[in-house]
Amino acid sequence: MALAFLDRDHSIAPAGYSRWLVPPAALAIHLSIGQVYAFSVFKNPLLALHGADGSAWNLKEVGYIFSIAIAFLGISAALFGAWLEKAGPRRAMFYAAVCFGLGFVIASFGAGSHQLWLIYLGYGVIGGIGLGLGYISPVSTLIKWFPDRPGLATGLAIMGFGGGAMIGGPLASQLMAHFKAAGQPSIPYTMIAMGVLYFIFMMFGVFTIRVPPDGWKPAGWEPSTNHSALITSHNVAVHEAWRTPQFWLLWVMLFVNVTAGIGILEQASPMIQDLFKGGISPVAAVGFVGLLSIFNMAGRFFWASTSDFIGRKATYFIFFTLGAVLYFVLPLTRQDKMNSVPLFVGIAVVLLSMYGGGFATIPAYLKDLFGGYNVSAIHGRLLTAWSAAGIIGPLIVNGILDHYVANKMPKQDAYPLILHIMCGLLVIGFLANLMVRAVDEKFWLKDKNVVVPQGAAH
Amino acid sequence: MADTTVKKSSPALIALAWAIVIIPTAWGFNFTLQNAMKLFTAPSAAPTAPAK
Repeated sequence: MALAFLDRDHSIAPAGYSRWLVPPAALAIHLSIGQVYAFSVFKNPLLALHGADGSAWNLKEVGYIFSIAIAFLGISAALFGAWLEKAGPRRAMFYAAVCFGLGFVIASFGAGSHQLWLIYLGYGVIGGIGLGLGYISPVSTLIKWFPDRPGLATGLAIMGFGGGAMIGGPLASQLMAHFKAAGQPSIPYTMIAMGVLYFIFMMFGVFTIRVPPDGWKPAGWEPSTNHSALITSHNVAVHEAWRTPQFWLLWVMLFVNVTAGIGILEQASPMIQDLFKGGISPVAAVGFVGLLSIFNMAGRFFWASTSDFIGRKATYFIFFTLGAVLYFVLPLTRQDKMNSVPLFVGIAVVLLSMYGGGFATIPAYLKDLFGGYNVSAIHGRLLTAWSAAGIIGPLIVNGILDHYVANKMPKQDAYPLILHIMCGLLVIGFLANLMVRAVDEKFWLKDKNVVVPQGAAH
Repeated sequence: MADTTVKKSSPALIALAWAIVIIPTAWGFNFTLQNAMKLFTAPSAAPTAPAK
């Protein structure tokens, strides 16, 4: 087989391979696909394009590109998770690189010929499949290499997804400026260049990733026998996992955490300007958005690695208690109440750190509850919560704002309502987390009670 | 089964692998941080409270 080098058997680590080579491999994938969060840099240039007949796209049509990509992220992660467990991370990462790179190239033809459906197909559908495959591909491999610190390992990779926008945004802006200055079609050429660059960068991850040999464990490390009842030494297969109440409780937790985060992210720039009318310039609002993305990224690493010490349930307890309080207090900092920009910014960045932390800690929570055997596949199905939140969150935020604007009510009065709804959602998450118990014995994998760090599935 | 002749991953190789992902991240981080600083350095568009 031509692509046999991608097989799991060809990617088993040789003796002496350092596990510290695995996080950079995972980061290469996540830093690349995290570009999707910076897609907005293409919005205005795409809106400025005109077809041969003089037609132009509107904001809503262009906005669908991102939505399709995120929807296909969730769908492909759910559909291909079980396949990934068999095929191994290298093959999945390779296909992710092909889809993500090819998506850019197809989208470039769409931009060049002013055919939006080609951009939907390329960046949205094919690129979105690359996002889903890439997002889940390194997770269980990292957990197997770092059974002693699963939160830290997955936090590192998923931090990359948060950081991807920090690279993708300026990279796209500078490439577009370069091609424009050279008198070439800026968007198509930028998309092709980014497709090629990201493909090469992701190949570094493909060739660096290794799976541990069966039975491997860190030198001198023994699984602790003195741990929470929520940390299982058994495994649950993916087709059983999603029948457990624990899966759906975690689904709800991820859903409300993401929806609440979107409550701020979706409107960050106009929100701070509306709540502090005349006190925050548009330039300062851009700075606020940048600050949020830094804390979104840092929170992924901080909270996921903290969860290795305090436990996953305690970590989400903090998200849902502190988060609910902060969402309640946030609108009280506005101009006609406390009038404190530093307090508003301080609270918002803590909330965004917990938004990122919620993403990054969930794989380790899944591993605790269901074991490491099918964790990528289970994680893939759980990511449908993200897709759902990506639809519901903006519906809540934009629906309320539209209602206020349509009824000629002050827009700044809509934000307290939005943020207090998010506070209520976090209370639901708090209850779901409280209800999480160890998975019932009847769901355990009976014939393969492998101890967690062993590489049973890949 | 310990094999004393096992070839371990070179620290230089590990450092190189990390550099490959850290350098672009640092570039993007610096760019974003400079943007974020505008929140603290940009002059306000107008006073936050009416002057008396």
